[in-house]
Amino acid sequence: MVRQRRQTLALAVLGLSFLGVLAVVPLVGETLWGWTEVASSDPTVRLVLLEIRLPRVLLGLAAGGALAIAGLALQTLFRNPLAEPYTLGVASGASLGAVLVLQLGVSASGLGLPAVGLAAFAGALAVTLVLLGLAGSRFADESAGMLLAGVAISLSCSAAILFIQYLADWTKTYRMVRWMMGGLAVVGYTEVLWLLGPLVLGLTVLSLERWELDLLLSGEELAASRGVDLRRLRLIVLGTVSVMVGAVVAVAGPIGFVGLIVPHLLRRWVGHGHLHLVPATFFGGAVFLALCDLAARRVMAPSELPVGVVTALLGGPFFLWVLLWRRRAP
Amino acid sequence: MRGRLRVRGLGWSPAGRRVLGPVDLELPAGGCLAVVGPNGAGKTTLMRLIAGVLEPSGGTVEWRGEDLLALPARARACRLAYLPQVRPARVPLSVEQLVLLGRYPHLSRWRLGPRREDFAAVRQAAIWVGVEALLPRPLDELSGGERQAVYLAAALAQETELLLLDEPTAHLDAQHQRDLAGLIVRLRSETERTVLIATHDLNLASLAADVVVALAEGDIVAQGPPAEVIRPEVLHEVFAAPFTVVRGGERPVTLLELGG
Repeated sequence: MVRQRRQTLALAVLGLSFLGVLAVVPLVGETLWGWTEVASSDPTVRLVLLEIRLPRVLLGLAAGGALAIAGLALQTLFRNPLAEPYTLGVASGASLGAVLVLQLGVSASGLGLPAVGLAAFAGALAVTLVLLGLAGSRFADESAGMLLAGVAISLSCSAAILFIQYLADWTKTYRMVRWMMGGLAVVGYTEVLWLLGPLVLGLTVLSLERWELDLLLSGEELAASRGVDLRRLRLIVLGTVSVMVGAVVAVAGPIGFVGLIVPHLLRRWVGHGHLHLVPATFFGGAVFLALCDLAARRVMAPSELPVGVVTALLGGPFFLWVLLWRRRAP
Repeated sequence: MRGRLRVRGLGWSPAGRRVLGPVDLELPAGGCLAVVGPNGAGKTTLMRLIAGVLEPSGGTVEWRGEDLLALPARARACRLAYLPQVRPARVPLSVEQLVLLGRYPHLSRWRLGPRREDFAAVRQAAIWVGVEALLPRPLDELSGGERQAVYLAAALAQETELLLLDEPTAHLDAQHQRDLAGLIVRLRSETERTVLIATHDLNLASLAADVVVALAEGDIVAQGPPAEVIRPEVLHEVFAAPFTVVRGGERPVTLLELGG
């Protein structure tokens, strides 16, 4: 019961942090505002706040939450702490789609997103279809097989991206590289709305499948004997994760390490049970990315770091720390 | 009507290679059946087929007249609890969380947490097995014997009439072998569960079972009460190894002769 109290407390803290970030971070920027200034009806303040800063913070919260729970789902599905949207190739497939469009110079747009974004989403889904096809075959019998397939797909996509970059001219290459660093700089709410549907889908599915995910931790054969349909579970989780990650990459480019770092940190605090871990990871990932983006905006002001750079810079040292920590307390 | 478990023509032949069967078995409700045999005989395959974890090439499994394999997995899990031999080495859950997962067939995804009766079932099972004191501990901190007892508690919390145990005492030290054996005998005498065990341990089979089935190369070689099957002649045919009976009677104790 003590554990229960700690988990509820953790969720409360995380939820409050989420609200805190939402309320405070939009006020931080080139000019620091207080809510009194906002309450005044100065049109510039209103414009910057409502059309630039608030959407950006919302996008950071939504994308961070989505990436974090996607990472959590994959780590459970493959019972591997290194699993995350990148490991499976979904993010690489999305990048390949985007890079192709940049090389071809397509400048159309549809559904409110530029062609690059749409191609990224398509790339993510294409990789998912390949993975699902493999999931239908004998690979599905062993999680390790799926993970290897994902790594192979990821490597292949990376190779293709390198090839296209080699063929491209300076400007296009720059655009590709820049796109692949990720970024949350948006104007208006289109991107946030794009992400909202997949995010809600992901949260709903993973929350509803919480017992099945817990059972996966205790062993696949045991789970099957208790009534878990492993094949269906893999399909549902993979499908949901891909739609979520595809949407994130479509609107914000590839942002790594969130799906890796956040679940790890929160497991120490909230435990491995998915009932608490899914919402905790969502809030934790949201706050994490929003704060990373704040750092990205301010650290090298007046210029901006792409948020993907910030998360990547944090990722490496994080892993070293985890390794050292694990060695001390096995 | 007490009912029985009826296995008819159950077999598994993947890619044309015959691994098991077809085999026929029968066990009255409340009884205990032990399957013994050498490695590769098909004991675990038999368990997995009856548990519905592996799809058979043919045959049926009936419990109280109901076709178990035709049921949806969750319904089957309400009638049958399976304790597999192979499990992941590291399971990052607490004892209580693991035993609670035994309640999965009874849990609803639409209710936030488990109900009071789920927690009660967990507590009862843990008390019966004797691991109540371990409930808050992480599973990975426990010894092999304690962990096995916890998994048994989880299977009991599932509240099923049928219980399938695959190699329940494998890899355990002497003390824990005795403890687990004691639990299985108590299952037989104190609860109304119908138990099937697959085991290497002939003395466990002899001690706990009403019926012993000897399996060799996918076929049943002998079937009957312990005194009939646990005999040097029969065992020699099954295992191609010399056994001596150390103590005879209804539940014989045998010893494998290593030398000579």
